[in-house]
Amino acid sequence: MTLPVHLRHDETFVLNLGPQHPATHGVLRVKLTMDGEYIVKAEPVLGYIHRMHEKLAEAGTYPQFMPNTARMDYLHALAFNHGYALAVEKAAGIEVPERAEYIRVITVELNRIASHLLWWAAFLLDLGGFTPLLYAFDDREQIIDLLERVTGSRLTYCYMRFGGVYNDIDDEFITGTRDFITRLRSRMPRMYHDLVTHNIILIKRIKDIGFISEEQCRRYGATGPVARGSGINYDVRKNEPYSVYQEFDFDVPVYSECDSMARYMVRMDEIEQSLRIIEQALDKLPDGPVMAKKVPKILKPGLGYHYSAVETARGSLGHMLVCNGDKNPYKLKLRSPTFSNLSLYGEVAEGMLLADALAFMGSLDLVIPEIDR
Amino acid sequence: MSGYWNDILVGSKSLVTGLMITAREFFKPVVTEQYPYDVPEMTPLFRGHVELIANEETGAPNCIVCMACQRACPSDCITLAGEKKEGEKKKSLTQYQLDFTKCSLCGSCVEACNFNALQFSKEYNLCSFNKDDFIIDLVKRLEDQN
Amino acid sequence: MSVIESVKAAIEKVVPFSETVIPADPAGEGEEQQPDQVVHSAGAKEVDFAKTGCSLDVLCTAEQILDVAHALDGEQLFIESIAGVDWPKEDQIEVVYTFSHFQDSDVRVMVRLRVPRSEPKVPTISKVFSGADWHERETYDFYGVEFTDHPNLIRILLPEDADFYPLRKDYMP
Repeated sequence: MTLPVHLRHDETFVLNLGPQHPATHGVLRVKLTMDGEYIVKAEPVLGYIHRMHEKLAEAGTYPQFMPNTARMDYLHALAFNHGYALAVEKAAGIEVPERAEYIRVITVELNRIASHLLWWAAFLLDLGGFTPLLYAFDDREQIIDLLERVTGSRLTYCYMRFGGVYNDIDDEFITGTRDFITRLRSRMPRMYHDLVTHNIILIKRIKDIGFISEEQCRRYGATGPVARGSGINYDVRKNEPYSVYQEFDFDVPVYSECDSMARYMVRMDEIEQSLRIIEQALDKLPDGPVMAKKVPKILKPGLGYHYSAVETARGSLGHMLVCNGDKNPYKLKLRSPTFSNLSLYGEVAEGMLLADALAFMGSLDLVIPEIDR
Repeated sequence: MSGYWNDILVGSKSLVTGLMITAREFFKPVVTEQYPYDVPEMTPLFRGHVELIANEETGAPNCIVCMACQRACPSDCITLAGEKKEGEKKKSLTQYQLDFTKCSLCGSCVEACNFNALQFSKEYNLCSFNKDDFIIDLVKRLEDQN
Repeated sequence: MSVIESVKAAIEKVVPFSETVIPADPAGEGEEQQPDQVVHSAGAKEVDFAKTGCSLDVLCTAEQILDVAHALDGEQLFIESIAGVDWPKEDQIEVVYTFSHFQDSDVRVMVRLRVPRSEPKVPTISKVFSGADWHERETYDFYGVEFTDHPNLIRILLPEDADFYPLRKDYMP
C-alpha cells in the first residue's frame, strides 16, 4: 500500500516549536511530530506562565482579586475586569448605575479595538509583514492614550469596581474618542483593507488554510471570532445580553468559509461594529453617578453557584463563582476562551504544512497568560 | 488559464496599491515621540506609585495610621507604623514603607483611605539595577519634598 | 419545541426532575448534619437564569455523567468548562460541568456530581466532547480527580513532576 507522501509515518522527527518562539506570542510550546514539512501530530504543551489565579482568588477578598483579572488577558484586560465585576455583582446583588454601565461598555469596546489591532499587527508579523505593525500601533496608541486618561494605566487596567467604575470620564475623553472614531473610520479602507486585506500575498497565505468545521467548534467549545469564522452566529453580547448591550444596534459578523481568512475578516468587521457601539454609547450617555451607593466595604455574597459570561475579543469568558457567605470567594473558576480555542489546534493542524500551521495559529489569536492563568 | 493571468493582474495591482500607500506614508509627519528629548506629560489620573499627602498647614503627613490601606492591599506591599505622641489626639506616622516590587497599582489603598492621606504620584521614570531601590520610604520622600 | 424544552426532555430520560431543593450549598448549611449523613440525591431542577446564569441545574452521579453528556451532545450543546470544587467538610469533591448552546440564548446547563475525596473517579466525557479532554486534564491537575478511560490524563498546567493538587482546600503552599 502506498500512502501519499504527507501521510507516510515511517520516518518522522519531533520538532519543538517554542516555548520561546516569536510565532507563539508568548511561552507556548507545541510538540510537533513532523514528516518532512508536514505535521503528523501537533500537541500544545501549556503551563509555562501558569500563576494559579484561582487559588489567589480564594486567598484574598473579593475586591482584592480585581487587579489580577487584568493580568490574564493583557490585551483585553477591561473585559476581564468587566466579567469579574459582573459575576460578583450578580452574586452580591449590587445594582450598577446606568452611567457606569455605559462607561464600562465604552472602555471595553475601545479596548476590544486595541486588542484586535494588536492581533492584526502581530498576525501579519507572523506572516512576514512588518509595516502594518507600525500603522496598527499608531492607531492603538491613540486608544491607549484615551484609556490612560480615564483609567490611569496603559495596559493592565484595574478600572471597574463592584457597583461602578473607578472614576468618571471627562469631556476631553469624549471628544478624543469621537475624533478617534472618525480617524479610524477614515483609515480603515486604505491603511487596513487596501494595504493588507486585498493584498495577494496575504490572501494566498491564509485563504483555505486552517479549516475548522462548525461541528469541530461545537465539540471543542470554541467561541468568539473562531466560531464566528466557522459560520456560527454566537456572540455573548447578543445571545445573553449583559450590561447595557441590548440598548445598542450592532451586527455580529459571521463568515462561513471556516478558514483563516474568515477569522481575519470577522475581526476586521468587529472593529467597525465596536466603533458603532461606542458612537451610540457616547450619544446616549446618561448623567448620574458612576458608583452605586451603599456598596458594602466587605462583600459577603450568599450561598450559591453563579455563572456569568462576557464576550472578550477572543470569545466567551466565564466566571463560575461559588460563594459560601464568607468574605473570600469559595471557588472561582475562570473559563478562558483561548484555552478551548487552542484545544482544537492538534486536530486541525494534522496534515498541514509547518508554515501554514503557523499562519493558522496566528489566526486563533492566542494570549498565553490567559490560557495558562 | 484565465484565472492564472487574472491572479497575476489583480495580485500585482494589490501590491502596487500597497506600495503606494506606504510611499505616501513616508512623507507624512512623524508620529513617534523622541523620548529622552521629548518628555511626555502625564494625565491627571496617571497612576504612579502612591505617595503621602502633607497637611497644608503643618507639612506633616495627613495619615492617622488607621491601617485601612494595609488591609486593602492585595499583595501586602504596604507596611506602616505610628505612635501616639504625648499631648496629641491622633496617632502620627513614623514609618510608611512601600514595596513597589509587588505593587500592581490597583488603587485599592488610595480608595480605602478616608483621611485624604494617599495619592498617586506622577513618577514614571523608575528603573534601577537594584531591587532595594523599589522599597520606598514614603515618610522620608515627603520630608525630602518639603 | 424550544431548545430549552427539548434539552429538558433529553435530560429527564437520564436524571429525573425533582422539585425538592437539591442540597446545593453544604458549607454552613449542613453544619448540624454529620458529613456521612449528607445525601446528595440525583435530580434536575430549573433555576432562575437572571440570578445564577444557568437555566438548568442537574445533579447526577458519576455513573450517569456519560449518559447526560450523550443527551446534551444530541441536543447540540457545546462544552463550556469543567471545574472542580473541594468540599472537605463532606469529604467530597464536586465536578461541575457547564454546557451552553450556540443558537438559543439563555440555555446553560450546569451538571454537578460528587465523588469521595479519597477515591475521586469519574468516567471521561472526552469521547463525546473532544474539548472536555483539556478541561478534564485541568481538573485532574488541580484536584486529582481521576477521569477513567481518559486518553491522555497527564498534568496540563503544572509541571509534570508535581505531586500535589493545589486547589484542594488543605493544600497550603
